[in-house]
Amino acid sequence: MHTIRLIVKNLRRNPIRSGLTALGIMILVPVVTLIWSILSFLDAATEEKASNLKAIVSERWTLPSQMPYSYATSLSEGASREPDDLRPEDSMTWSFFGGSLDPKTRTFDNSLFAFALQPQKLLTMMDELDSLPADQKERFGKVVDKLASNRQGLILGEDRLAAIDRRVGDRITLYGLNYKDINLEFEIVGTFPVGRYDNSAAMNVEYLLAALDAYPTSHSGKKHPLADKCLNLVWLRVPDRSAYETIGRQIAESPLYTSPSVKVETASSGVSTFLQAYRDLIWGMRWLLAPAILVTLAMVISNAIRISVRERRTEMAVMKVLGYRPNQILLLVLGEALLLGAVSGAISSIATYVLVNNAMGGVKFPIAFFGVFFIPNDALWWGLAIGLATSFLGSIVPAWSTRSVRVVDVFSKVG
Amino acid sequence: MNLDDGNPIVNAHDPIVLVRNAHRSFRRGNERVDVLGGLSLEVPPGEFLALMGPSGSGKTTLLNLIAGLDRPDQGEIFVAGDKVSGMNETQLAAWRTRHVGFIFQFYHLLPVLTAFENVELPLLLLPLSARARREQVMTALDLVGLTERVRHRPGQLSGGQQQRVGIARAIVTDPSLLVADEPTGDLDAKSATEILDLMAELNTSLHKTIIMVTHDLRAARRAHRTLHLDKGVLVTEPDMSLYEAG
Amino acid sequence: MHSNRFLLMTLAVLAVAVLAAWLSRIPIKYVMRNLLVRWRTTLLTSLAFTLVVALLTVMLAFVNGMYALTESSGQPDNVIVLSEGSTDESFSNLGFSDVGDIERQTGVARNGETPLCSKETYVVINQPIADPPPGRPRRRFLQLRGVDDPAVSAKVHAVTLYDGGAWFSDAGVQRVDGDNTSASAIEVVVGEGIARELGRDRSEQQLASAKNVERLDVGDLVAMDTRRLVIVGVAQSAGSTFDSEVWAKRSVIGPLFGKETYTSLVLKADDAEAAGRLAEFFNTQYTKASLQAYTEPEYFRSLGETNRQFLVGIIFVAIVMAIGGIFGVMNTMFAAISQRVRDIGVLRLLGFSQWRILIAFLAESLMIAVLGGAIGCALGYLANGWTATSIVSSGPGGGKFVVLRLVVDLGIVGAGMFLSVMMGLLGGFLPSCYAVLVRPLDALR
Repeated sequence: MHTIRLIVKNLRRNPIRSGLTALGIMILVPVVTLIWSILSFLDAATEEKASNLKAIVSERWTLPSQMPYSYATSLSEGASREPDDLRPEDSMTWSFFGGSLDPKTRTFDNSLFAFALQPQKLLTMMDELDSLPADQKERFGKVVDKLASNRQGLILGEDRLAAIDRRVGDRITLYGLNYKDINLEFEIVGTFPVGRYDNSAAMNVEYLLAALDAYPTSHSGKKHPLADKCLNLVWLRVPDRSAYETIGRQIAESPLYTSPSVKVETASSGVSTFLQAYRDLIWGMRWLLAPAILVTLAMVISNAIRISVRERRTEMAVMKVLGYRPNQILLLVLGEALLLGAVSGAISSIATYVLVNNAMGGVKFPIAFFGVFFIPNDALWWGLAIGLATSFLGSIVPAWSTRSVRVVDVFSKVG
Repeated sequence: MNLDDGNPIVNAHDPIVLVRNAHRSFRRGNERVDVLGGLSLEVPPGEFLALMGPSGSGKTTLLNLIAGLDRPDQGEIFVAGDKVSGMNETQLAAWRTRHVGFIFQFYHLLPVLTAFENVELPLLLLPLSARARREQVMTALDLVGLTERVRHRPGQLSGGQQQRVGIARAIVTDPSLLVADEPTGDLDAKSATEILDLMAELNTSLHKTIIMVTHDLRAARRAHRTLHLDKGVLVTEPDMSLYEAG
Repeated sequence: MHSNRFLLMTLAVLAVAVLAAWLSRIPIKYVMRNLLVRWRTTLLTSLAFTLVVALLTVMLAFVNGMYALTESSGQPDNVIVLSEGSTDESFSNLGFSDVGDIERQTGVARNGETPLCSKETYVVINQPIADPPPGRPRRRFLQLRGVDDPAVSAKVHAVTLYDGGAWFSDAGVQRVDGDNTSASAIEVVVGEGIARELGRDRSEQQLASAKNVERLDVGDLVAMDTRRLVIVGVAQSAGSTFDSEVWAKRSVIGPLFGKETYTSLVLKADDAEAAGRLAEFFNTQYTKASLQAYTEPEYFRSLGETNRQFLVGIIFVAIVMAIGGIFGVMNTMFAAISQRVRDIGVLRLLGFSQWRILIAFLAESLMIAVLGGAIGCALGYLANGWTATSIVSSGPGGGKFVVLRLVVDLGIVGAGMFLSVMMGLLGGFLPSCYAVLVRPLDALR
């Protein structure tokens, strides 16, 4: 207790220096926290799960994946034909419809890409939406019901809604971007829960299919070029890896999928293929950026502690004269750094957590198809750990150097 | 020390330092301390004046006022015809460079600069060529007898030598007035004597007016005149002979 | 970073600093020696600058490499024609019947009788990697470009092959030794970047007997599920998006991957101005098909959206790191000043006024900054020429996977030094103000 009081007193002795050091820690820790949050999210997304996993069925070869909608029903059943065949627990089909509010000029702000799907699947199959807390689930459930009952409904993320400058209840027309000459009228029926889908949109797939069916009547009987290519992905939920492999085999061996042929992969494997393009960027964040910030942090702390130690050499000599042992003085210096690091680091990461997750609604960092990242709960400890680790690294050398303070310095360094 | 030692006092009609009714007070906590209460003083050109008095008597405050380091609350101060009491900070800074040389008890040399560079410092503020500066610095160092040690840093010099560098720095701009605050206070007896000899020499051969604050009677004895301060007023102007007898 | 604006700004700030230091008459020796006396602290403090600047340099070099790709890939006299509404080749579909008419329009340059029109089908395929070495992915996206007439396409895109290579044959396929499958190998010309990337999938044994350990070379085979690709040429493509592409005969890969139509036509005009007119013509006057035409530089610039996003991220990180560094410098400078309060007092008594003191200490922190920044730039320069993978796109959905080369140029060095100098100035300013407020009489008491 006595030691801690001494440490605190020493820190308060030069409030400017302690304050500056603390500020340095508090500004650098959030950056590391953000970087690590993004990395840990991506790691989790690409980590192969053993149970309750999702599989993605897509066109075997090309990107973007475009399959005939006739594949939808059988793929949703995992291509099961015999009563003994395994069926997925749940499934979802995705078709992408991109549209712009302005038929002539397309900008990032006036256009959007919607998942066209069976509305109820939003609650059971979409990442994160399938595990909403009860209150949010109830609210979003009502929005989904509206989309199910209103074929022309559209659900938007808050940010997308703000970007196109519309409100829930407004009617909009989207001029097809990827579906040429398919222009759809929508009524905005609600919004996604705040978070990952802030920039997303979802529509009822029936509406897209109906528009494609109606196309020939207004185009001299010609089918829309994408009429047979409007199924982009099929998601399947399977209980474990062996079920995944069984269903994968059922699909691969099925004679139904020849033109084009399809492939099955786990969601995490699909994500990691996409992230290949960002491989070096992610490597740089993990192995250059984060470490460099940590080293900078350690140096800022080290500098402050070095200065304090140099200023207090005489005083430390006096303490030795009074009977303090070298290790006690070392611990005093180390304790000063660790206390400063731990407290500022902890405050900083908690503040980052609250600020990013609650006030800012996540951090925008567009990489592959992820747009927004949140600080995980684990990160609440990162600041404390970073603060302790960097202040230890930064102060160990100056703290060690106090052992060499000689008692005779008491007399020689006056004046 | 003889007053008639070829001093130019007789020729000068105006005093080099003129203090008229100077007041200066400081706050100490809630209390106002009047350090100087209406002090007046004249110093003729070429005089070597010693100021003595117990601590807190106001001698350093008076020296600061004369040297343009501080301004009086009331009253006027003229030095070499300039009204020092009416100048602002910037004017004072420029004025000091040309007109006042400082000699300190703890020398106050910049530790990272050599003797030469320390002496050169005040000259840097004047419009001089590097060559002219060098000549002036060497002259000043020659006068204090330190030409051998120009490349040494303060840490490599003895106390007496450091004070010589300090004196060289004080005279290098050829100021009309030298102010010295306890110049021998930090020196052993032998060094102190040498420094006092040097100051007396500067006074006699270069006709520098010197005002010196000191506690040291031996030092005061080298001055032409000694003034005693007590509680901010000149208590007496003792005859030199008194000291000679004491 | 084509502009050297930051370099000029840095030089201007430094010039002002030197001038101010000269005017202040405080000997520069004084500033330098104080830094030398406390060399450990000086070094430690400047190391913070070094790290921040080195990181900034590397990150900017990355974005610079992306800009280099998007801004130098296009030929100024080329026009790229897509179907209307597509900003990205992968979404474009051009009707077969329209193509013949498009290439015969006036304004399209000719080589003898042949219009200089590269007719292309661009597909991105998902290539499974059979037996990847440890730590390497099991799948990758491979960008295939099928062209009808490689000679014309090479001329339009000004692509040349390394010695020993040739363009694919009319058949586009050939039998190779050890072919145990019924289908022959598909002849391909690969960009240098993707050749290097594919080369990393090789096993130790394969590498031991490889013709070229750096990258795949002519004659090497790439497994593509049931088919194999045989490399007949390697393109000198560094610095363009073609660096990451695999070219083959369109009539072979189109049907194979279910893309029967053309995705894009690239037309050569007589010069850049004519190209602008030609693109304008297709966008506004041509009625036989709805098209979207861009001059190539325009098209590639539109892929710079990702670059901009990265740039914003980098600037954010650099500024935050810089602020952290600034706190470090402030500590150093506050300590330096409190150690030298007496020096300040003496200087003030000798007639050095307040602004001269301010300049002296600002100069000191600026020197730390320049030292640290210069080392940082030098370290960052080591990244010059590194290759990295990334993606360039015009927004969400689409984009090109690219292999880029990090480019450290004067503009980046300027940005690094500018950041460093600003850190030095900002970090030095408050402490220097504190130095200015030192009362000379108190300092010497």
